[in-house]
Amino acid sequence: MAEFTLRLRRYDPSSGEAPYWDEHTIDLEPHRSVLEGILQAKARTDGSIGIRCSCRAAICGSCGVRINGQPGLACHTHLDVALARSKDGVIEVEPMGNMPVIKDLIVDMDAVHWKKIQRVSPWLINKEPVPEREYIVSRESMIDVTQTAACIQCGACVSDCLSMEVDPEFVGPAALAKAYRFVGDPRDAKHEQRLKDLSEDRHGIYSCTHCFKCIEACPKGVAPMNQIMRLRRIAGNDFHIEDRNNGERHERAFVKNIQRNGLLHEADLLPDSYGGKFSPRAVPELLSSLPIVATALRRRKMTIGGALLHPHKAPDGVKRIYDIVEGRDERVELNLYITGTDEDNAENPIQSVTQDVVTADAAGSDTGGAGSSV
Amino acid sequence: MRVAYWPGCVSRGFTAELHGSMAKVAPLLDIELVELDRANCCGAGVIAEHSQELADTLNARTFALAQQEINNGADLMMNICSTCQGAQSECQQRLDANAEYRAHVNETLQASDGLEYQDGIVNKNFLWVLVEEIGLEQLTSLVKRPLTDLRVGPFYGCYIVRPTDRLGIDAENPRDTYLGQVIEALGGTVIDYAGSHKCCGFPIITMNKEASLQQAGRHLGDAVDADADCLVTPCPLCHLNLDLQQPMAAKAVGRDLDMPVLHLPQLVGLALGLTPKELGLQHHVVKPTSVIDWSQSVVAGVGA
Amino acid sequence: MPAHDVLIIGAGLAGQRAALAAAQKGATVALMSKVHPVRSHSVAAAGGINAAVNPADDWRSHAYDTVKGSDFLGDQDAIEIMCREAPGEVMHLEHIGVTFHRNDRGEIDLRAFGGASMKRTAYVADITGQALLHVLYEQVMKHHEVIDRFEEWFVSSLVIDEQGTCVGAVAREIRSGKMETFSAKNVILASGGAGQCFKPTTNALICTGDGIAQAYQAGAPLMDMEMIQYHPTTLAENGFLITEGARGEGAHLLNSEGARFMEKYAPNKMELASRDVVSRAEQTEILEGRGVGPEGTGIWLDITVVPKKRTLEALREIVNIGKDFAGVDITAEPIMIQPGMHYIMGGVKTDINGATPIPGLYAAGEVACVSVHGGNRLGANSLLDTLIFGRRAGEHAAERSYNMAMPTASDERLAIDRERVAEILARPRTGRRVSEIKEELGTTMNRYVAVFRDESGLQSAHEVVRRLKEEARTAYVDDKGTVFNQDVLGAIELDYMLDCAEAIVVAALERKESRGAQFRTDFPDRNDEEWLKHIDIARNGDDEPHVSYSPVTITQWQPEERKY
Repeated sequence: MAEFTLRLRRYDPSSGEAPYWDEHTIDLEPHRSVLEGILQAKARTDGSIGIRCSCRAAICGSCGVRINGQPGLACHTHLDVALARSKDGVIEVEPMGNMPVIKDLIVDMDAVHWKKIQRVSPWLINKEPVPEREYIVSRESMIDVTQTAACIQCGACVSDCLSMEVDPEFVGPAALAKAYRFVGDPRDAKHEQRLKDLSEDRHGIYSCTHCFKCIEACPKGVAPMNQIMRLRRIAGNDFHIEDRNNGERHERAFVKNIQRNGLLHEADLLPDSYGGKFSPRAVPELLSSLPIVATALRRRKMTIGGALLHPHKAPDGVKRIYDIVEGRDERVELNLYITGTDEDNAENPIQSVTQDVVTADAAGSDTGGAGSSV
Repeated sequence: MRVAYWPGCVSRGFTAELHGSMAKVAPLLDIELVELDRANCCGAGVIAEHSQELADTLNARTFALAQQEINNGADLMMNICSTCQGAQSECQQRLDANAEYRAHVNETLQASDGLEYQDGIVNKNFLWVLVEEIGLEQLTSLVKRPLTDLRVGPFYGCYIVRPTDRLGIDAENPRDTYLGQVIEALGGTVIDYAGSHKCCGFPIITMNKEASLQQAGRHLGDAVDADADCLVTPCPLCHLNLDLQQPMAAKAVGRDLDMPVLHLPQLVGLALGLTPKELGLQHHVVKPTSVIDWSQSVVAGVGA
Repeated sequence: MPAHDVLIIGAGLAGQRAALAAAQKGATVALMSKVHPVRSHSVAAAGGINAAVNPADDWRSHAYDTVKGSDFLGDQDAIEIMCREAPGEVMHLEHIGVTFHRNDRGEIDLRAFGGASMKRTAYVADITGQALLHVLYEQVMKHHEVIDRFEEWFVSSLVIDEQGTCVGAVAREIRSGKMETFSAKNVILASGGAGQCFKPTTNALICTGDGIAQAYQAGAPLMDMEMIQYHPTTLAENGFLITEGARGEGAHLLNSEGARFMEKYAPNKMELASRDVVSRAEQTEILEGRGVGPEGTGIWLDITVVPKKRTLEALREIVNIGKDFAGVDITAEPIMIQPGMHYIMGGVKTDINGATPIPGLYAAGEVACVSVHGGNRLGANSLLDTLIFGRRAGEHAAERSYNMAMPTASDERLAIDRERVAEILARPRTGRRVSEIKEELGTTMNRYVAVFRDESGLQSAHEVVRRLKEEARTAYVDDKGTVFNQDVLGAIELDYMLDCAEAIVVAALERKESRGAQFRTDFPDRNDEEWLKHIDIARNGDDEPHVSYSPVTITQWQPEERKY
């Protein structure tokens, strides 16, 4: 047994008082969970501590909280690990972020998390005809989608999403990972529509700021940001959706920029992301950037020559890489979640890199537009 | 030490002062920079979004070129950009995990350039090199102009602090605290503020400009409120959104910011005795007046 | 006052399935749960769901395995229905999007499981319960216009009118503390089991026997309450479940001599004998001094014999559990387990449509006892049970609601329950804390009402339960507020648990034989002549549990000796 001090964030809406910190000393073996610590405090001294919890085994998703500033499940966080991350020897537990607080560590998930889940039409829309028995689909496609289906809706990713922090309307990591669960499922009939909807949404897939917080937060390995990137990949590559948010254009512009120049030529990237220097979308952007450009020129941070000329050209090797890789019929994508690492597979080496590749062409194929996995 | 040096793209483009300051600082730290001038952009996560294989192959090419230098005596590969570190680590994770896939990528490298990537390359950002290769004690011993009374806020950049397992961040290597350690080793005061490990917003500047600038503005504002004199960052892309775009960010959050943002080599260079001019501070959009004043006042103090 | 054709209490697999089925039949549906539906304990079910989908398989084989698994206490008409309808249900689940694991031909893959004569368990890695529950909830979200959801509402009582018909329930909105009467033409209890009566248990904190106790209080009979399943592989320290799927993939059980001792007890099926057989085998090894661990109270589960790649693919969740909760890498070393309380075969007595003897009151899932599991439940039959009987109860209730006037439940019960809450909040701090009483209940039940039982132990348990019921009347709470008061709900749940515990003990005392999960060391043999019957417990108007019997329905399979 060892002693730990928990500092809990308390809030009682009916008291009219502001939230406050409350400290409790608990004694448990160091490998026990923060949740067990909180439940001990609840059982022994203060039954009014509010926290959602049920399974204690990281599968129900109830006990999402922030521990020493990091989002996660209370039942899944060991006391000694939490203590190691503490700044002052105290384990601090607060409610998750980005969601209104109902009481103590209990947040209103309906108002944020579930609303956004509902937004992505989170149910299978069957590809017709529905067979009498099961749809015949590849093993890999089901394992692939199981990565996102492993989501237990705990809200840890939503809690710390940095895009959502500044833009509360951002659809968010949990909902977008849920969207991939259908876009990646060969039995769903609406891949293109789902992607069009979420690409064109001003707060959709292209509003993800690529900060990796959700990947870090997720206790189940869902890696929401990776699923968002797959949605972008399928939207752009397979369905050629040119969204109004410039997401696809930006991606295409960057890729071509390197193909041409080998290094990033920034002066081209920005206008090309809008459609080209003289495109109607680009002009207002360029005009609004003029003051910055002027300052940058004054400070000799950039020069006109540097901007207009292309001092770098892609080496032949780079161009050939593009030719070979972009020239393939089917996209090759390695998903370590499906294949495992060499170390994992020491007994059974992976047979062939291109075996069981699901076709990347969405239109009309039985296995749908999911990115192929290797 | 000698490093196979990948300077990245933006350090030679819109933040050329980064490339210049690194070149000046390296010899003072006894680092010989062997520049990988044939290498290519890491893709910044955007190429990987379009095609993982393309990003993996392009970065395998850079790794292969670095390995040629390492075979010639360089100790490791070094980059000066958080985004390069993160994007390259992600590609390396895939390449190293799966021999079959690596062979597939090497086929392309062979056909295109006669190159080959051997798994296990050591690729470290300048920040990690300072702490892990040079060492903080050594760094302190080289300081000529301690950053005394300079209040510095660290800004890491997402790609170098998450996800922790991919970047080798753990209790033995608390890489997500290195900026603070370096600032202190140089004699400065570390400013704790909310935005230090958050996102500058650069990845969405063309897709959701408002949200992008709100992030930059908010984190800069937090640093202002915490009384920082300046920020320091190991990522030139962050520098673009925090410095180049600062006027627009200020408008987005409706407050004056005036927060200078330094590149890491610039901060190190100041402490090692270089002048602001040598380090290219005059090229910043947000004039680092407070920092220049500080350095000059200290210079005036030294030797007086 | 909210009024619906069908009010479903509990939103796990049985409850959600009932809601979807009733809505499809055109009924107005209320789905109520004291936690958000995806937090229901169905989510923790791991290994899979049984169905004879393989063309080379036959539902009769599945049915026979189930009858045998039940030690011939299961009602064979119900079992036939469940096994016959299973393949259709699994296909339905696949069509609404469950991501079942596939074989190399792209068909639903089937794994081996305990007590099964053929591989017939469909699965999603080792998170099958979660996969099914979340897909059902997707459908519930899709049909949000016809299914009214009352999430985080706690039911304190059923409402029974003067004719003895169930006409609704009283519920408390946990978030605000307000309490309301809900009218309904039909109420379906789907509130799960009562694992929290035992400590340790694999069950979640919410498994407090609410529905069992509510039905019991309303006068409905409980059946087979003595049948408590101890799962063979639970983590020693905290009772967490290690799925049977591990043994399905080939894992071994070893004693302190490193021997696969199941050879002695079940030479054919070995580790995949029925759960009661395996648990007893383990417990015997432990009692005879061949247990492992510092106190010799465990058994080794060796998963290293399964190819690592397969483990990472199909047993991913227990890799995580091993790592996170036991500090063990199951691909590299054995993990220590022991038998732990897991499931209650008994419950509210229903017919094959989920109807209880009280008109208007149905039950489905673990809360119910049809009985399809009899004296012992086979692994992967519970997920099946919840869906088949959840659907049937939903459909039957919907049909019953046609041509029926909507009752108006009186507020009498509401007043009583409000008073009860006020009384709990007002109790002085002179009694015991709710958590203390709960702790004593759990350890007592785990001591005397576990794998091996006897008369004196059961009597001791009964005394303790009776004493705890007295003490519970003065158990005090700290939280006097209205917003999300979990404390007062804990006190009400304690009452539910004590009712369930008493019924369990009385039934175990009554059955003077060993059958299925009930093993009496003082009556070690199965005695079909005297005990091939169900034991029913009911209140009959007063506070004492009354015992009666009901027959076991036998259609095809005469009882025989049960060997694995």
